[in-house]
Amino acid sequence: MGYEPLVKQNPLRVLKIGTENAREMGLVMARPGLGKTALLVQIALDSILRGNRVIHVSIGESIDKTRCRYDDILRSILQEYSVSQPHELIEMVQHHRMIMTFKESIFSRAKLEERLNDLIMQNIFTPNCLVVDGFDFESVNRESLADLKDLANMMSMQLWFSAVTHRDDTRKSASGVPAPCHEVDDLFDTVILLKPEGSNIRLDIVRNNGRANGSGVCLDLDPSTMMIKRS
Amino acid sequence: MRKDLTKVRNIGISAHIDSGKTTLTERILFYTQRIHAIHEVRGKDGVGATMDSMALEKERGITIQSAATYCNWQGHDINIIDTPGHVDFTIEVERALRVLDGAVLILCSVGGVQSQSITVNRQMSRYKVPRIAFINKCDRTGANPYRVTQQIRDKLGLNAVMLQLPIGLENDLEGVIDLVSMKAVYFDGDQGETIRLEEIPAHMQAEVDEKREELLDAVSMFSDELMEVIIEEQTPSEELVREAIRRGTLSLELAPVIIGSAYKNKGIQPLLDAVNAYLPCPTDVENTALDLDDNEKEVQVSNDADDPLVALAFKLEDGRYGQLTYIRTYQGTLKKGDTIINSRTGKKVKIGRLVRMHADEMEEIEEAGSGDILALFGVDCASGDTFCGSGINWSMSSMHVPAPVISLAIKPKDNKTQANVSKALNRFGKEDPTFKSFVDHETNETIISGMGELHLEVYIERMKREYNAEVEVGAPRVAYRETVTKRAEFNYTHKKQTGGSGQFGRVGGYLEPLEEGEYEFEDKIVGGVIPREFIPSCDKGFRKCLQKGKLTGSPITGIRVVINDGSSHAVDSSDVAFQLAAIGAFNEGYAKAGPVIMEPIMKVAVEGPSEFQGAVMGSLNQRRGVIVGTFEEGNYTVVEAEMPLAEMFGYSTTLRSLTQGKAEFTMELSTYKKVPKSVADELIKAFEEEKKNK
Repeated sequence: MGYEPLVKQNPLRVLKIGTENAREMGLVMARPGLGKTALLVQIALDSILRGNRVIHVSIGESIDKTRCRYDDILRSILQEYSVSQPHELIEMVQHHRMIMTFKESIFSRAKLEERLNDLIMQNIFTPNCLVVDGFDFESVNRESLADLKDLANMMSMQLWFSAVTHRDDTRKSASGVPAPCHEVDDLFDTVILLKPEGSNIRLDIVRNNGRANGSGVCLDLDPSTMMIKRS
Repeated sequence: MRKDLTKVRNIGISAHIDSGKTTLTERILFYTQRIHAIHEVRGKDGVGATMDSMALEKERGITIQSAATYCNWQGHDINIIDTPGHVDFTIEVERALRVLDGAVLILCSVGGVQSQSITVNRQMSRYKVPRIAFINKCDRTGANPYRVTQQIRDKLGLNAVMLQLPIGLENDLEGVIDLVSMKAVYFDGDQGETIRLEEIPAHMQAEVDEKREELLDAVSMFSDELMEVIIEEQTPSEELVREAIRRGTLSLELAPVIIGSAYKNKGIQPLLDAVNAYLPCPTDVENTALDLDDNEKEVQVSNDADDPLVALAFKLEDGRYGQLTYIRTYQGTLKKGDTIINSRTGKKVKIGRLVRMHADEMEEIEEAGSGDILALFGVDCASGDTFCGSGINWSMSSMHVPAPVISLAIKPKDNKTQANVSKALNRFGKEDPTFKSFVDHETNETIISGMGELHLEVYIERMKREYNAEVEVGAPRVAYRETVTKRAEFNYTHKKQTGGSGQFGRVGGYLEPLEEGEYEFEDKIVGGVIPREFIPSCDKGFRKCLQKGKLTGSPITGIRVVINDGSSHAVDSSDVAFQLAAIGAFNEGYAKAGPVIMEPIMKVAVEGPSEFQGAVMGSLNQRRGVIVGTFEEGNYTVVEAEMPLAEMFGYSTTLRSLTQGKAEFTMELSTYKKVPKSVADELIKAFEEEKKNK
């Protein structure tokens, strides 16, 4: 598709996303306002550039707002890297992305499965990656999360979540995953924490595709553009 | 006697299709004693609602044109503009908004904030119209005004605050509790005309207290005085609370929410009270005009009856008694027999008859002050024109008019109707700037174009009914465009030097895509190889080419033409020669510049019960659509998609049968995009055949 250079240059390559097929469930955690959605959107865009189709599930956000997040990040990408046909890229992203928004209360495996089947059976959209923003980990039990993971496996999709941490909640799992995900952290293959460090936001990679992060490369989010960069 | 402007309200009523605008207006007119019986929109008595005066409106049960009407409530003069709900007619909505000071946004208590409400709300924001929300249909199954209030906050971004609570809901809706006066309000009598105030029912006290607290919390921001009273834990007076609500509403930072059911005659009088109490009077709103004598500098209108007149014609209607022009005055006084000047044409006009409109009945008046809405008879003008008194030459700022996206060829059934058709088209074009008509000289067909299928259908229907002109209608056509995708050079010599005076001109340069704008021409000629006087001829030649592209005969847009070379002949070069040279040069370059066909892409929103989501997405997908996203709440889903307009013909029928009539859709122009190759090939083929058959 001609976007290989973009994919190769992406600092996200430090993560082992896309090296193995499916069986990947990732998690991005941070306090409110640090850039979870921006990171998820970049993970989604990276997946799209690698030729995948992504469904962005947004819980409690509007379609328009979610769309704007993509437009913003895309604009930054186009500013930073030279792309010969920017319009084609924008259009390609549109065709490979679908946004599903739900009101908090009604998001569940059954609902999601029904919607995905609607799309796949009618050959409208077959996703390879599902990004879930705004999932309420506080009120979810292990079972229903495992259920979602199972669904993703069944449909051979990557699955990414974002979760909100709170400063005053100090509970942690053995591997350092904070609440509210400390009891379910073993379900995730990749876990990234966003932490403010000086004027930057550091990506603390707790687990990288099942292993502790050993690459030695550090990633930051540029607080002005919310783009990932090597530090 | 001079009218007290603080007791004048110019308000609009607008909302989503079928939210009950017309039903509500009918009730308002009844309670203000303008009419003496209530006719339902689709009533069994066959009279139809008073505001739906056009025969077609009565038949279809939708309001097409906004009629202006007048009533009086508790000493306040209220001019009401009933605005249409269908998106094809948004120009009517926008025009109405231009002349309003405030608006009532009606929402259905079941459907909540629907796509059209969002469009209307956006338009209101554009014209800075303070608004109050009326949550209608609280008697319907599934009514939930609390949820709708939350939606107003979430989806419309308004700071919605409930001023009332319902007593019972759905079938049990008895009345409302007014959180300002802290009284229960019941509506007695056959048509709810008698108001009974009672103490708040004991079982609701806790809820009422909680909501009252919320209300005071929200409005205290707008009044320091009220804030103080609350901090001192005293009970604020009703006036103080009302004053704060009014301030919040006028500053557009608060949207008071009133609830009721127009159909069941509940909650209308409190709504009228709210209109008087919270919506602005003409002097509360700043309106600006453009001074045509001073380089269109913005000037503020004064609202003073003694200043020279400034009035805006916002709507024309061809009635039984000739052309009726609705106008709104912004300053000065309008008197029968006065002479006023149309600032667009500079023509002087004498006011023959001045009337106040009440749907299709009218009442003659002698003079009208500033801030009023009235109608004039027998004045020739187009809608959007400004009238001025002597001494000034102002124009109310121009309105935003979108370009048409769809066209139809029409042919009069016989010669007799031809005259009527032209009369009708002339009229419609004046009434509605989004409706355009012209004659295609190649095919000799009359082409009408507008904002959507329904939009054009309505005009065809009106031609038949009002002008007795039946026409044969061709298939709807999308307004395609052509553009270029890459830079291409041209170098063309036009030469005709056999016998008589010759023609000679050579034009060289290139054309390239233009990101923004339709056409740009740049002259980079050095050394006078094309003489100065012939540069405009080149531009003229290029412009001629833009009217009809080579691929499908559609207009070409988004193109920049640069000339940098050429040659001329001392005797044989002329204006015509260079025009022809430019045309030749354009054709040469255009073929090489990767011309493509662009089609209008519509932003479509389909709303309905979730069970049909799969079917709806399937139907959109089949029509070359890109589904942008879905939104689900409870059992209600919205699917948003970007659809080529060409694929949307007849979609309303498809959607109805797919969803048992339970889903509806709205669309508006989003952008123009390149058509896919297969479709482009077909369009080109069809165009070639058409050319051959001529």
